[in-house]
This record gives sequence, C-alpha cells and structure tokens, in this order.
Amino acid sequence: MPYHEFEVSKCIPERKMHAVVKGPGEDLTDALPKGYLNTIPGTISERGCAYCGAKHVIGTPMKDVIHLSHGPVGCTYDTWQTKRYISDNNNFQLKYTFASDVKEKHIVFGAEKLLKQNILEAFDAFPDIKRMTIYQTCATALIGDDIGAIAEEVMTERPEVDIFVCNSPGFGGPSQSGGHHKINIAWLNQKVGTVEPEITSDYVINYVGEYNIQGDQEVMLDYFKRMGIQVLSTFTGNGTYDSLRGMHRAHLNVLECARSAEYICDELRARYGIPRLDIDGFGHKALGDSLRKIGLFFGIEDRAEAIIAEETARWKPELDWYKERLQGKKVCLWPGGSKLWHWAHAIQEEMGVKVVSVYTKFGHQGDMEKGVSRCGEGALAIDDPNELENQEALLTLKPDVIFTGKRPGEVAKKMRVPYLNAHAYHNGPYKGFEGWVRFARDIYNAVYSPMHQLSAIDISKDDYAIDKGFVTRRMLSDATLSEEAKASPITGYTGPFDPISGLRGKTYPVFERRAATEAAE
Amino acid sequence: MAKKDKKDVARANYPKLYDHDPLADVDDDMKSKVSELETYIMKNCLWQFNSRGWDRRKQNAGILGKTTQLLVGEEVDTSTPLDKCYWVDAVLLARNFRERCAWLSGLGADEIRSVLAKLHARIDWLTIDGSLNEELTVQNY
Repeated sequence: MPYHEFEVSKCIPERKMHAVVKGPGEDLTDALPKGYLNTIPGTISERGCAYCGAKHVIGTPMKDVIHLSHGPVGCTYDTWQTKRYISDNNNFQLKYTFASDVKEKHIVFGAEKLLKQNILEAFDAFPDIKRMTIYQTCATALIGDDIGAIAEEVMTERPEVDIFVCNSPGFGGPSQSGGHHKINIAWLNQKVGTVEPEITSDYVINYVGEYNIQGDQEVMLDYFKRMGIQVLSTFTGNGTYDSLRGMHRAHLNVLECARSAEYICDELRARYGIPRLDIDGFGHKALGDSLRKIGLFFGIEDRAEAIIAEETARWKPELDWYKERLQGKKVCLWPGGSKLWHWAHAIQEEMGVKVVSVYTKFGHQGDMEKGVSRCGEGALAIDDPNELENQEALLTLKPDVIFTGKRPGEVAKKMRVPYLNAHAYHNGPYKGFEGWVRFARDIYNAVYSPMHQLSAIDISKDDYAIDKGFVTRRMLSDATLSEEAKASPITGYTGPFDPISGLRGKTYPVFERRAATEAAE
Repeated sequence: MAKKDKKDVARANYPKLYDHDPLADVDDDMKSKVSELETYIMKNCLWQFNSRGWDRRKQNAGILGKTTQLLVGEEVDTSTPLDKCYWVDAVLLARNFRERCAWLSGLGADEIRSVLAKLHARIDWLTIDGSLNEELTVQNY
C-alpha cells in the first residue's frame, strides 16, 4: 500500500493513512486515503465545522430568505460574504446576515426569548421577506434551546411567514460535510412536499448541488432554458425557498456536486421515485455529454446538440489557445471536496496541465475514489491536510500553480506558488463552455504573471539583473512555441468582463407542450 | 409520485460477488480490451461512484447491462424513469466505446457480451467488492 508519510507529521503516525501516492499499475483497491474521520488531535486541521457546512455552503445561497444564526455573532460573521454565490435579486442573501447575538448571560438563563425577539425584529426590518432559515450553533445546542418550538410559535402568530430550522451545530460531524448531510435531510423532512409548484414544461428537473458561484447556475440555466426544460428548483444557489419546497414534482434530479447534495437526491429517489443523474458542468466534453444525457432523457437531444455545436464553435478555439501555452504545467488541485474530481481529468485533457496532487479538506473516501481515478500515476492524494503538510508538498512537488481556498492559497503565495481560488473563483463563472475558457485564462494569468516573476527578485541583494526590462505574459508563455503558434490571430479569451447580467434579461424560445400537441391531434 | 416513507435498512447487507480481481485470470487480449473500456469509465463517468455499495451494484448492473444491449443491437427497456436514467448513461457509454475502440466493430455479439461481462465484473470489483471505501455499507444515505 503506497501510503505517504509526511516528514512534518511523523510525530502523528495516524496521519500516514490519510495520504497516498498513486503508483504505477495500481488501482483503487491498492490505494485510497482514509476520509471523513474525526480530525486527529494536534494536526491543526483546516476544515470548517458542521454549522459552517450547513449554513455557509448550502443554506445561505437561497436568495429570498433571512438567514439567522442562533448563537454568538462570531459564528455568523465568520461565515458571511466569503463565498461569492450571487443571486438575481440584488444579492440579498450576501448583503445581510443575521444572528441572535447570544452572550454569556443567555448561556446561563437560556436564549429562546432572545431568539424569538430576533426573529420578529428581522421580519419587521425586511417586510418583503417572508421566509427564514434558523441555524443552530454549538453554544445554543449545548444549552438545549428548542429552536423548532420557537419557530412554530412565530409561524402560528404570523401565518404569512415560513421558517426552516437547521439543527447542525458545529460539533455535529467531523467536518463541514456533516452539516451538508444534516441540512439535506432536514430540508427534505421538513419542507419538500409542502408547496405544489406550477408545471410549465414537459421536461422538469431539479438542479441539485449547484451554488451559483459567480453565476455558474445562471450559465447552466441558460442552457436548460434554451432546451425548453423547466428548472423547478436549484438546490440551492440562486434558488428560492418555495421552489425548493416543490422539489418532489420534478421528473429528474440533475446532480452537480454529489459531495454536498447527493443525500437529498438519493432520498428523493427512494421516497418519490425521481431518478438521479450525475453531471459535470466543468469541461467542454463533460458538459457536452451532460447536456446530451439530459436531452436523451427527455427525448430532446437535438436541442442539446444545437447548443453544444454553437458553444463549441465559439469557445473551443480560445480554449485551445490556452492549452497550447499551459502544456505540462504542474497543478496542485486542492479544493474542498467535489472539484478535485470535477476538474482533475478535464483540466489535463482540455488545458494540457498535469495534476501532481489532489487533496480534499472535508471529502469522503468516495470523493477520493473519483479524484484518484481521474488523475495520473504519481499524483499525491491527501485527506484533511494541515498547513505544514501543505508546505512540505509544495516544496517537494514544485507546482506551477495551485487551486485551493484562500487560507492555504495565501500561504502558497508566500511560498511563491501562484494560487487560484477554487471555491469562490478568481474571475468566474467557470461553468459552461465560456466559463471553462475563463478558468483557462485565469490559470494562464496566474502561471505567467509578470508580477509573479518580479516577486522572485530579492532587491535587498546587489546582484540582481538590472539590464532586463519588464516582460509580458505573452513573452513568457510563447517563448518556446512554434512560429505558427505565435502567429495565431487568437489572443485568448474575448468574452465580456461580466457574462451574467446579459443572461438575466434574455428571452427564450417557447416550445409547444406535448400535451397540447397531442390534444390538437 | 407517491411518497414512500419506509426505509429499507436491509439494503446495506448486499452480498459480495467477487473475492479477487476478475481480471487476474483472463488472457492478455481480454485484459487489454477490458482495461481500455475501464479507463474510459474511470476517467469520464460518475455513475459508478454512488455513495453506497447497494446503489453501486444497481448502477453498474443497470448501466453496463444496457450498454451491452445497445452494443449488440438488442432492444433496451426504458419503461420506468430509473430505467431511462440508466439508458441515457448507457447510450453515452456505448457511443464513446464505439468511437474510441475500433476493435469493437470486429467482434460478434457473443464476444461483445463476454468482454462487457468481464468489464462489469471488474467495475464491481473496483467500486464495491475490492473497494477500500469504508462508507459503502453505511445504512443511511
């Protein structure tokens, strides 16, 4: 078994089972790191807590909701505005965050009265918003506050409001993934089936595990609408509270991030018979195949093919321009969970880079199975790494760029490894045919940034070169290319700075419904 | 659709089918063919990695079963939403196999069935019976 022991973690022998190197000729039955286990004391994990996973990752992207944390203000503050899940209602859920501001005296005397006061105040302050989610935190869970009872009380007093209670305190799991699980099941048990949605198409899906990072959801919705598909709900990016109460009426659950949302898909399949179709919105081939599959399911594959042909013709040449310049660049793919497998194969095939390491902070062994399968031999796979292990890996692997979160990303930058934000993106969206080119553009800019080159110069020394002027990215990236490649009229990404706002006012073709056609015949 | 409340906890006790790698005792030609198909699945597909072992068993059987039928020209059952969902993954798989593996067109129906049966066994081994994933037998989703 090719487990990898970090020098810096020799004093924590349990860590050895959490990292493997994929050796020649080996498969998943030879190598798989442990995963989703309690953090080993002393390792200084970088994971988030179960409250953060429920609130920050899954709950808060719902756009027409007051998101209230019942606990100390720090829990809310630390999970506010750090992930760019935008919405088309002026980003209400990003602009405002709410907390009951529990203090020591409430721990002694109870905080239920305080919670009720906060709920009423929040609804009064935003009279247009009639929906609320309340998130349990460690402190209020430990004192036993009954949030559900308070929510019921308020809903009885104010019948026009509806409240969802998420009981996922920070200690409710090994990592934020515990919170993903809890909020999935809680939403299904409490809210799904409590609203009957209006069905406007013969083809109805829930788009699940999609959080509209910098507009990802809106890009994908554009494709679905062009195909005449009704997206009943998005779980949860840019999604509305009431649309998610009607999830039980979809014909198909299209699942993007299985790590955070497979639970609700699996239960919707078990309880309501709605099938689960896993898709990849990242990468031209994977996205094309995903649209084809959805088209096939509904018997409208021709509509998918038309979109794929149009989008590929527009964006593939620009993607190839980057691929030529990113050949062989070494990447550490260190996201939170699902992107390690969404991206591992697609970036190698379509951008020419080489993934030398994958890691996951909160993923399960299932995520590692997908990730290890999709990267090549020699890749180092790490579960729940700590900062010292990250530094050792960076020094050993010498990547050209790292895709990770902002905490390890800033450390990487100080080690002179360019970093791209894998969670909130740099200049996303990254989903969609165009988005994938934007991602390639960001990688290119990171790898060949002249500023990055300049940062290597130690100006405290006398012996740095003073006879060289400023270089451009093209001078760096094209140095070894053929004359033909250099002469290409393409210059990389030519899309707009903001590809999302244009989608919001777009009109779509109206497809005649099958029922209407059959009645006419 | 009708809502079902009862949970099938016995599903976690699915039987093991293989106690060793099914490719260990086949000839090199078969091994090479199966490996080519396996690599495509492991690099490009997600359906084989549902979180629980009993689901993986059904997914593998459903999709690879229908892929075999498509490759040998048999009619495929798409009468239920679940069958249709297996079928769409099978259609994409069959297309990609045909596009990438020219040798498939030179095989007769029985030979294709034989290769796909070994592939099915191998995917079951990698993702279920030989898997090191300790969460496959957790009773709940």
